[in-house]
Amino acid sequence: MKALELNMPVIRLLVLKDWQLFEKQLAAYVAAGIVALCFLGLATPWSFYLGSLLLIVVMVAAACFAISNSLLAERKEHTLPFIMSLPVSPLDFYLAKLIGNLVTFGVPFAVMALGTLAVIAFTPLPNGLVVFALPLFGHILLAYSVSLGVAMAVESEGWNTFAMIASMLLINPLIMLLGQIPAIGETAKTGTIVWSVPLLSILAAQVLLSIAAIVATGWIHCRKKSFY
Amino acid sequence: MNPRLFLSASDSNPMYQQVIDQITAKVVAGDWPAGTALPSIRELASANQVSVITVKRAYQELERSGVIVTRHGKGSFVAESLEAPRALLRSELEVHLQALLTCATRLGLSREEIRQLIDKAPQPAAEHMRGTKP
Amino acid sequence: MTAAFTLAGIYKHYPHFALQDIDLSLPEGQIMGLVGVNGAGKTTLLRILTGLASPDAGTVEVLGHAMPREQVAAKRDIGFAAEDMRLYRGRSLRWHMDLIRAIYPSWDEAYAGDLLRRFDLRVDQAVGSFSHGQRVKALLLLNLARRPRLLLLDEPTTGLDPVARVEVLEALADVLREEARSVLFSSHNTRDVEQLADSITFLHQGRVLASQDKETFLDSWRRIVCQGAWTPDRQYLPELAAMQRNGSMLEIKVSGFSPDLNARLEARGLTVRSQHPMNLEDIFVATVRAGATS
Repeated sequence: MKALELNMPVIRLLVLKDWQLFEKQLAAYVAAGIVALCFLGLATPWSFYLGSLLLIVVMVAAACFAISNSLLAERKEHTLPFIMSLPVSPLDFYLAKLIGNLVTFGVPFAVMALGTLAVIAFTPLPNGLVVFALPLFGHILLAYSVSLGVAMAVESEGWNTFAMIASMLLINPLIMLLGQIPAIGETAKTGTIVWSVPLLSILAAQVLLSIAAIVATGWIHCRKKSFY
Repeated sequence: MNPRLFLSASDSNPMYQQVIDQITAKVVAGDWPAGTALPSIRELASANQVSVITVKRAYQELERSGVIVTRHGKGSFVAESLEAPRALLRSELEVHLQALLTCATRLGLSREEIRQLIDKAPQPAAEHMRGTKP
Repeated sequence: MTAAFTLAGIYKHYPHFALQDIDLSLPEGQIMGLVGVNGAGKTTLLRILTGLASPDAGTVEVLGHAMPREQVAAKRDIGFAAEDMRLYRGRSLRWHMDLIRAIYPSWDEAYAGDLLRRFDLRVDQAVGSFSHGQRVKALLLLNLARRPRLLLLDEPTTGLDPVARVEVLEALADVLREEARSVLFSSHNTRDVEQLADSITFLHQGRVLASQDKETFLDSWRRIVCQGAWTPDRQYLPELAAMQRNGSMLEIKVSGFSPDLNARLEARGLTVRSQHPMNLEDIFVATVRAGATS
């Protein structure tokens, strides 16, 4: 079937292009993330608070930056018609943006997630904190996937901003919720990681919903009637 | 052969007519001697930034009046005889002459008076130039 | 003759605008000028041809490819520059040239260098600091230097200063040398269209008002000034497109001119004072107005 033939060389070039456009800013985010991890690692109450706050801020900022620069700016600065005039199909464009975002957001995300786990493991911080950290990263991943989907499917800037801010801010109720689930809130302060059923269900739901959001976006995107 | 002509959008003659006039003038003046190949339609169009269809029309009319001949697959050439371009110029002269007479009639000038005016009129510059051509 | 593109029965509805009943075809090797006022639907038509928008009804075929399904294959040979298309502000023209060169094997670096010189563009300057004219020329360079078989240009000369305009038209005339290359360019400036186009299409309120080869088109219109009491009407003069009277003087504009027209006017007691071909701008205005009244 013709529609499934992907133009891989051009997809690769478009990913490379997005990477080139954002590499400096991404390095800055990673650097800020590392500073946050250092604070966490000091394991004093104030540095832990400051570090976790900074970490969340950096993650949210990196997510919003990746989305707005690769998608919203493309539309607003009218570079989208230029890209769409290249030999790409809507599916190629979607995949290029998805892969590009996996790189531009995925790299700082992975660095910070793995870094956090390492900091928890190798510093005096209680190892049980992992059960708290994982759902938080899971939430940011989900919020990111939803915002990415909205940015691709919806042209209105207002809705895009709303989707980004609302989904990211939901991290607050999540923290409250996690604290109230005994299997998570209480084991977080202990020295062992407890893989409880509530924890695993939350993580599974976050991953599945993220994938669903991304697949649905691709489906909607390829059925669009016009591209700008 | 330099395909550059001097065409202008502000000339009152349509573009294809300007092309016809200038090619005819070049042939009569000997710039483009008999038998030489003309620039291709696309080359002339590109060099003068006019559309291909305009040049095509001009070439067709030049061929019809015998100024150029088109050999299939080989392009267009200046006709061997100068008869056709001269005839073309002659018919142009007749149009001007008719206009002159109409105008003169309106002014009430007699043929004799017109003749005197012609004798007094300065020689056009182009005529001097032709004398110096090798 | 093969067609560079063929549009058949195209409909495309937007909330406040609709492209309706478009049947249009461009033979390969020709230049078509698309003339219309702002909002006539020129940009939408070009977007449909590039696959950026799909019509609600009708079929689109570009360079032998059905659109938008085979848009990837078609876009390899299409060059498209639109008025609302921008390059990456922070990047240099060189960066863009390298991107395009990596995508299209047909990129001609020598020709690109030649265009850079003619357009007087600085290759290392960030595109964001280009003037409007430089931006248009940069976009045109990126398209021309890869020698596409079909160039779709949306208002390429709009807003250019006279020098830049001439530079753009001269570069566009390069395309004329090659037989297999076609161009569709839209403009509300009839002068640019009149000079370069082989055929003319008038678009107004989403419909094609006229589409014809330019020479026949220009030839079929005349402006005639005559004197006399009789006022012509469409019944006697079906080719009548516009008419104005002041006292005994009468100006009429006709489409579908034939040499016996003067005799027919004089048979009704009118004296023909002058009779001239019209330029494209006059024809366009007369066509739009005649369309509005009929």
